[in-house]
Amino acid sequence: MSDLNITGVEGTVAIKPPPETPKLPPREWLKENLFSNKFNTLLTLFSTAILLMISRGLLSFIFNPERQWGSTATNLRLMMTQAYPEEQYMRVWVSVAVIFTLVGASMAIWNAGSRVTLRRLGSFLLSSGVVINILTLLAPFSGQAKLIWLIIGSAVAGAGGTLLRVSDKDKNISSLTLVVATLTAAILSLWIVPFGHHSFVFERTPRSMAETGTVALTTKLPWTIMVVIGILAYFFGKTMTSRFPSKNLRPTIIGIWFLTPPTLLYLVLRDPDFDMGHVLNTDIPIFLIFAIAGGILLSWLTRPTTGEIGRVCAALVLLAGFGMFFTPMRMIIRILMLLLATFALAAPTFAGDSKKQRRYVLAWIGVSGIITWLVTAVNTPSTIEVPGDFFLGGVSLTLLVAIFTIVISFPIGILLALARTSKMPIFRILSTWFIEFVRGIPLITILIFFSIMVPLFLPKGMELSEVSAIVIGYSLFSAAYLAENVRGGLQSVTRGQHEAAEAVGMTTSQKTFFIVLPQALRVSIPPLVGHCIGVFKETSLLAIIGLFDILYIARNVIPNQTEFLGSTRENLLFVSLIYFFFAYQMSKASQRLERRVGLGER
Amino acid sequence: MNEIENTETSASTRDLSNAPDMIVCEGVSKWYGDFQALDDVSATIKEQEVVVVLGPSGSGKSTWIRCINRLEHHQEGRIEVDGIELTNDLRNIEKVRSEVGMVFQQFNLFPHLKVLDNVTLAPIWVRKKPKAEAEEQAAALLERVGIPEQADKYPGQLSGGQQQRVAIARALAMEPRIMLFDEPTSALDPEMIKEVLDVMKELALSGMTMMVVTHEVGFAKEVADRIIFMDDGQIVETGTPEVFFSNPTEDRTKLFLSQIL
Amino acid sequence: MSDTPTSTSAKVLSARPPLWRDAVVLKWVTQLFLLFIVLTSLWFLTSQAGDNLEARDIPSDFNFIERPVDIQLSEGIDTHPDSGGRALWVGMVNTIRISIVGIIFATILGIIVGLARLSNNWLVNRLGTMWVETLRNIPLLVQIIFYFSVLTVLPRVTLESGPINGWFHISNKGISMPRVFLADGFYQWLVVVLIGAVVGYYVHRHRTRIHNETGTITSPTLWALAVITLFAIVGIFIHPIFSWVGSIFGALASLFDSLPVLVPQIVLSGVALVGAAMWVRKFIRKHRSARGHLSLVDDDWFRIIFTAAVSIILVFVFISWSGLSSWILNSGRDLFEVIESKFNVDGAARPFDAMRPEIIQKGKFPNYGPSGLTMSVSFAAVFFGVVFYTSAFIGENVRGGILAVPKGQIEAASAVGLRRSQALRHIILPQAFRVILPPTGNQYLNLTKNTSLAIAVGYSDIVQVGTTVFNQTGKTLPVVGIWMLFYLSCSLTISVIVNWFNVRMQLVER
Repeated sequence: MSDLNITGVEGTVAIKPPPETPKLPPREWLKENLFSNKFNTLLTLFSTAILLMISRGLLSFIFNPERQWGSTATNLRLMMTQAYPEEQYMRVWVSVAVIFTLVGASMAIWNAGSRVTLRRLGSFLLSSGVVINILTLLAPFSGQAKLIWLIIGSAVAGAGGTLLRVSDKDKNISSLTLVVATLTAAILSLWIVPFGHHSFVFERTPRSMAETGTVALTTKLPWTIMVVIGILAYFFGKTMTSRFPSKNLRPTIIGIWFLTPPTLLYLVLRDPDFDMGHVLNTDIPIFLIFAIAGGILLSWLTRPTTGEIGRVCAALVLLAGFGMFFTPMRMIIRILMLLLATFALAAPTFAGDSKKQRRYVLAWIGVSGIITWLVTAVNTPSTIEVPGDFFLGGVSLTLLVAIFTIVISFPIGILLALARTSKMPIFRILSTWFIEFVRGIPLITILIFFSIMVPLFLPKGMELSEVSAIVIGYSLFSAAYLAENVRGGLQSVTRGQHEAAEAVGMTTSQKTFFIVLPQALRVSIPPLVGHCIGVFKETSLLAIIGLFDILYIARNVIPNQTEFLGSTRENLLFVSLIYFFFAYQMSKASQRLERRVGLGER
Repeated sequence: MNEIENTETSASTRDLSNAPDMIVCEGVSKWYGDFQALDDVSATIKEQEVVVVLGPSGSGKSTWIRCINRLEHHQEGRIEVDGIELTNDLRNIEKVRSEVGMVFQQFNLFPHLKVLDNVTLAPIWVRKKPKAEAEEQAAALLERVGIPEQADKYPGQLSGGQQQRVAIARALAMEPRIMLFDEPTSALDPEMIKEVLDVMKELALSGMTMMVVTHEVGFAKEVADRIIFMDDGQIVETGTPEVFFSNPTEDRTKLFLSQIL
Repeated sequence: MSDTPTSTSAKVLSARPPLWRDAVVLKWVTQLFLLFIVLTSLWFLTSQAGDNLEARDIPSDFNFIERPVDIQLSEGIDTHPDSGGRALWVGMVNTIRISIVGIIFATILGIIVGLARLSNNWLVNRLGTMWVETLRNIPLLVQIIFYFSVLTVLPRVTLESGPINGWFHISNKGISMPRVFLADGFYQWLVVVLIGAVVGYYVHRHRTRIHNETGTITSPTLWALAVITLFAIVGIFIHPIFSWVGSIFGALASLFDSLPVLVPQIVLSGVALVGAAMWVRKFIRKHRSARGHLSLVDDDWFRIIFTAAVSIILVFVFISWSGLSSWILNSGRDLFEVIESKFNVDGAARPFDAMRPEIIQKGKFPNYGPSGLTMSVSFAAVFFGVVFYTSAFIGENVRGGILAVPKGQIEAASAVGLRRSQALRHIILPQAFRVILPPTGNQYLNLTKNTSLAIAVGYSDIVQVGTTVFNQTGKTLPVVGIWMLFYLSCSLTISVIVNWFNVRMQLVER
């Protein structure tokens, strides 16, 4: 469907650091870069014309009095959380606060941020001031607005110029300080600048309302708290770093990061009146039985002396788990059984002394606990008084689908890639066919197929919401592309590595797990990040099958509100901006990561 | 070279005729497609014996010792290592792999693991040793190969000679009874060859059974109990270093020696 | 492994390990186990789907292909198709049309963007970067819908001559411009050009030989092009002499009409069996040593058995599914009849013609007429969407490819005295092209698949038409099957073409 698989090429290109700004005086710099010969001059003039045309077109579009930007401002909540009930908003804010805390703490623990020289800051400010002034001159402003913007632009440029002139060559500040300063300024502006207060008022029928003044308290107060929490978390992280070694701290934070999405989703979606009876008398006992019985089985299987009989045993468990799909059974039991079979099959790989046995059993209990909890959370009478699937929408639906798709498709993709590069012909053929088949057809056909057809493929009595069906389809699609990315990494692991691992006596699964996969995944980080960006971008296709994602809201919901008829383009522009912001930030972050990890440097 | 002439402990003076058999090959043959890599190779290697395999490139030396570690499958004949026959039997393959250590031409260290983890990985997960014990042993082995201070570095930060010594330590950590060396010095700069050969010499003197594919004639003369010369996938000639180098019988051997000496 | 060469020593047999420890046995047992699981799951799911569909009384058959449907398409070769099959066919043609046009324009734009990104001119460079970063970080669907919503607020079309003298019309109904189109005599003219191409090829060879022998500059490519152009120009006047070519195709059509169904069945089966047999023979010959020793491992045996099984299954399909054979015969006949009719035209017909767009009144609002080249708003939205989006990616490929040529190559070229243009043509471009081609082929595949987003703006591509068809008939599964088949064959075609170029490039390099 997409750009999912080409990012590798970009990656290799992007590694080159941007050329240093040449230390030439302005006039020579201009001559060198813009007017070195006739053809170059022509190009410069031509592109200046294009640039001016584009900016003028955009500005006269944005600042046209006919534009209904109020439609975007009034519907911001709709775009973020769709029909999530207002009285439950506290849960959403708590989730956002958790994420802010984690971001702040992680930044402290990973020592994020770099130093920015004041000169660079100055030249940045100077050029942005100049750009603001040029744009102001182009924009169709009234005289007064023009003047105000010109003053702002000149002030920024002046500040930049002064900074450039005054500061020493190697005086610098932390980029984090800059970020915090910007955030604080933004939050302060919420309290000071009269952005206006837009909202819907519900009196029999919803009616939009716009007031002058600063934004509503229900918006500015929570965001202020969020930023404060983020900053506090940063300092908390700093103290943690000084107390504990990063060897222990970092894995803990990574673990929390992985547990956060399901926890928060559970927090956001759970019905407030949910009673724990079912959990207490069914789910927890099932989990306990599996944890104990499975733990005993696994501690026996991981004993070094067990030998081949363990494999037979694991195969039997697998067969039993598989058979459960043909008999009436609770879904949780089927899933746990298959999980146990997987653990049992992998057990000889991790066999060892009693310490290792204990760790393996603990891993089993942990994983099965999380899975039980997730299944329970999914089956919990979720929420919230809006009927149907569509209480979820907007950005939160996009995030839900993207996160779940990526998480589910990761193991599937890795398995497919391993199968495709394995020495076993049937595995190879099956996985190749699957991958090539999926890669040959557009995502939209898969989504349509899954949204319509999945109910037909399920046995009687089993139901799956449309969102889940689509997540499954999207995960299979994403797994095929992901497998190709991972395969690239697997092929980069040399034959010598395989042989060395075999020569020290590792079994195939030990070799794969300890030697091959770590190296392969490290190599495939850039294409994998590109893939994740692709998955995020293409959640926009949900709009086509009628889910209320942000694009659907912007195109089909808001322009049909009585107050904002035909305000499609404004909202589409806003949606583009949101997607652009996230995708661009992610790709920049991946480039930074790439440089930091120092790929190829072995 | 002088130094080698002067060393008095030549392993080749030992009498190994009563030692038990370590590696037995009978009529081993192997094909790659229509190319025959090994042609009816038969040889017996005794315990504590040090055998150097010589031969032009493409003569099947590497294929042979890789067959002994079951990195390649022989198609005919039988190979027995320490009484274990190499077949498709999983248990035998596992056993043999942990009996036989192997050192490669390209080192093949695991680049994503620190030197210490490179050495301890297999003892922990294959031999099922407790971690502390494995690390203790690894430290001792790194001491033995002369690089105890590099334990916390990554392989990419070491020189070729140091990497190859780590590779030897990694193989020794499995406590093998036999060590196979596949051209261990061919990828090294000349000044690093000696440090690796010294470690190998020390190993040979400690009584390890060794099979070495190499072009280092000096090492062969000094340390080997026996030289096996291969060409076209066949064993052309075997003999003690003294006889082999001074008085070869076969024409092919003479031609080869005239080219390398 | 049976025939052993004469061995000097006694043949030594190894003991077989017990089954549950035999690596080979375990390997195959595991694989068969997985195969079993996959097949059972598939069988389980399909039987479930069958039962459920039965219960809802929606049989999954392909009847709708011949039944009449009530569909009106916005554009295409037939806006009122009389059957479901015809409707899907129109959708396929629309998809192919927009893909090909899109690929051409995306390539051109992509090269420009890539070169802009490499430019020394700071402003051009920045513009290229902005283009790439903006377009590839906004989802394509958002872009398409945005272009669509911008195009639909353009002014209405009026009955007066359009904005530019009646040659161009830009309105909320679409974009319209004059066009050159292929007229009736085109196919006869094409025969002349083909003859010209053959002659040109020989001229090229001849000139090359002269160049090789004497060393004088003979510019063979220029000569060949000149010959072809000459033929093309002359062909405009003399092409009616080739109207007899049609009778060859007429004869072929009647031959196909008279063949019994058995013939294609036998031919196809024969091809499958003989092909498999030849492959196995070649495989075995490759694995036999000079001395006649055959060494096959278990994987090789699997390959042989798999090939044999596939060929036998194919034969079974060909024989039992007579519909396939009659379809081949019928469509072959139809194809040749169509070609015959193309040649069967008035001797005075011209190969080309040109037309201006015209506006006609239809209902209450004026509409574009049938002539001229008209881009409907939906087509334009999808077209601009995929072209801009893909151009960003192709631009990155071009840039990467040119940067991937090592600097030493350029230095070496100037060291042997090549001029800059020569170095570019003979040294840099061939190497860069080899790097650029595979990812760009991938982008072509993506572009083709991305045209399926047309459904969001109502362009009648195969997905949009298919959705309409299954909404009316309820036959979702067959329609989805047709979609997948169509897209898979598109992907296959593009990969084959790209691979062909790829192989050629590598040969050129050697």
